[in-house]
Parts: sequence; structure tokens; C-alpha cells
Amino acid sequence: MSLVEGASLALLIAGAAFFFAGTVGLLRFPDVYTRLHALAKADNLGLGLVVLGLLLRAPGWATGIKLVLIWLLALLASATVGFLIARRARRHGIAPWRAGDRE
Amino acid sequence: MNLTLTLAVFLLLNLLVALIRVARGPTPADRLLAALLFGTTGVAILLLLADAMSQTAFIDAALVFALLAAISGAAFARRAWREEVPDDESR
Amino acid sequence: MKLTLATVRAVLWRSALFAVLWWALTDGRPDSWGVGSVSVAFATTVSIYLLPPVNTYVSRIGLLRFLVFFIVQSLRGGAQVAGFALRPRMGLRPGFHEIDLRLPEGIGRVLLANTLSLLPGTLSVELQGNRLCLHVLDERAPTETEVRAAESRLADLLGLTLHTTG
Repeated sequence: MSLVEGASLALLIAGAAFFFAGTVGLLRFPDVYTRLHALAKADNLGLGLVVLGLLLRAPGWATGIKLVLIWLLALLASATVGFLIARRARRHGIAPWRAGDRE
Repeated sequence: MNLTLTLAVFLLLNLLVALIRVARGPTPADRLLAALLFGTTGVAILLLLADAMSQTAFIDAALVFALLAAISGAAFARRAWREEVPDDESR
Repeated sequence: MKLTLATVRAVLWRSALFAVLWWALTDGRPDSWGVGSVSVAFATTVSIYLLPPVNTYVSRIGLLRFLVFFIVQSLRGGAQVAGFALRPRMGLRPGFHEIDLRLPEGIGRVLLANTLSLLPGTLSVELQGNRLCLHVLDERAPTETEVRAAESRLADLLGLTLHTTG
């Protein structure tokens, strides 16, 4: 296995690990706001690492540019959609979970 | 079974578990999280499958997923920001 | 539309950008350029009308510094959330945190709100005027310092001056 292949595998596995952590966070975190944190951060980092890992295996520049474009669009989508969900939740009076409440 | 296919299946299981969690709510805001899940996990699964099966068409499908996620986000945002104009002027 | 130097520059840069985009999307197929050149010209024209060129330029050093900052902070943010999620006792101390922004009105504030959602411990919830409401994972964390750092990076990137708060 070449160095580039090894780095690519490591990045892909690390990416999948962050997706896993994001899912665990989604299951365990106590309210919608904290769950949004789990998705917005862990999953985006997971996708970033997967994209980086695949970039190292990309057959050409065209595919590489497409992959980066996909990553940028996904970041934009997560940030805007996450903001909107949080705002709607707050305007609809969904109270945030506080330390000391039942988890 | 090669590594990218294994990882794609692993992420698919993640997505399933997450979707079940999200569907249970309890609030409508929790259910909206599904939109985020497709924008990230869904896109990652498609990209890994594209590599595993040497089907570049899957990359284009992932691009459409990401684009739809971004555009629907922006569309909601425009509507929501317009509501806010009175607040901005009263400042 | 008046033909200024800024317009000419914008047309050149943007048509180059759209051409690269077209090339990538079609996997570099040479037979697609008939439709491609028309599409690039159309996209450039529409973009000039919808988003007229302005005389401020995005600073390149600012962009590089912002990218490095963003990548490092994304790693920290992901690691922090993963840490909370995988610990047996999560130890979350969430809450709302309001902060007055120093960035001037406009795209900068929106970009900041979006960026903060992807950075460690903060999630933008509401942006009204210069007041940003954040949801934080840990109330004990130095949120103020983190927001100010992101704010300065964005101001560098867009060549904006920060207001003083107080």
C-alpha cells in the first residue's frame, strides 16, 4: 500500500468515526439544540474527512473539484438549516435543557 | 468486500438509527433534523458508493443532494429573514 | 451598466470561475462546450446583474488565514462534540448566550452566524440587528473569546472594520 492510499484509508475511517459519534450524540443528547450541535459539528467534520480521503483517490481534477463543491454546499446547507431549526424551536418556545434536569 | 463499501454500509446503518431517533421527536423541530442528516450522511454514503462501485454518476447524485439541501435552506432563510425586517428597522 | 474597471475585472473572474465549474461538472468532455460557452456567458451576465461588482476585494491573506482558522476550529468542534457524546457521563452545561456583534450590518454578520454554528460549542439561534443569540454546549467555556476571534478573522477576510461595543 502506498503512502497516499494509507492516508486516504485513515481519513475515510476517521470520517466514519465522526459520523458514528454524531449519531451517538443524536441518541444521547437531551434536547433539540444539543442534538443540532451533534449534527452540525460531528457530521460536517465526518463529511469533510470523507471528502478529503476520496480526494486522494480521485481519478482526475474534474472529480476533485466536484467533491470540493459538494463539501462546500453541504457546509452551507448545514449552517443555514441548523440556524433555522434552532430559531424556529426558540420562537415556538421549546425550552433548552439545563444541567440538573433529567437527561 | 472493499473498504469504501464497508464504510458506506456502516454509514447507512448510522443513518437508519439516526432517522428512527429523529422520527420519534418529541418536538417537530427534532423531526426537521432529518433534512440535515440527508445533507451530510446521505451525501457521504453516495460518495463512498461512487468509489466502491466505480460509478461516477453517484457523485452527481451526491451533488444534487447537497445542492437541494443548500437551496431549500436558502429558500427558508430568505422567507424567515424577510419577517425580521421590522425588528431591524426598530433598532 | 457603466463599463468600469471593476466590471471588466468581475466579468473576467466570474466567467473563468463558471468555466471551471462547467468543465468539472461535465468531466471535461470537449463536445459539451457548445452548450457550455453559452451557459457560462449567460451565468456571468445574470451574476453581474444580480450581484453587481463592488470595489472591495476579498483579501487573499485574509482568506488563507480564515481557511486555516476554520479547519482547525472544525476539528476542535467535532472532537468536542464526539467527546461529550462518547463519555459515560456527558457533563453538558448548555444554555443561551447573547452577544453584541462588532461587525457592520450585511453579509459579514450572516457569514459569522453561519460560521459559529460549525465552530466548537456554539450554535447560532437568532440574529436581530447586531444582537446574536447563541446556544452553547458548555456555559463555563469562554464563548466571548471564541466569538471575538471568529469576528476578527471574518473582518480581515472581507476588509471590514469592527465597531467598538460598550
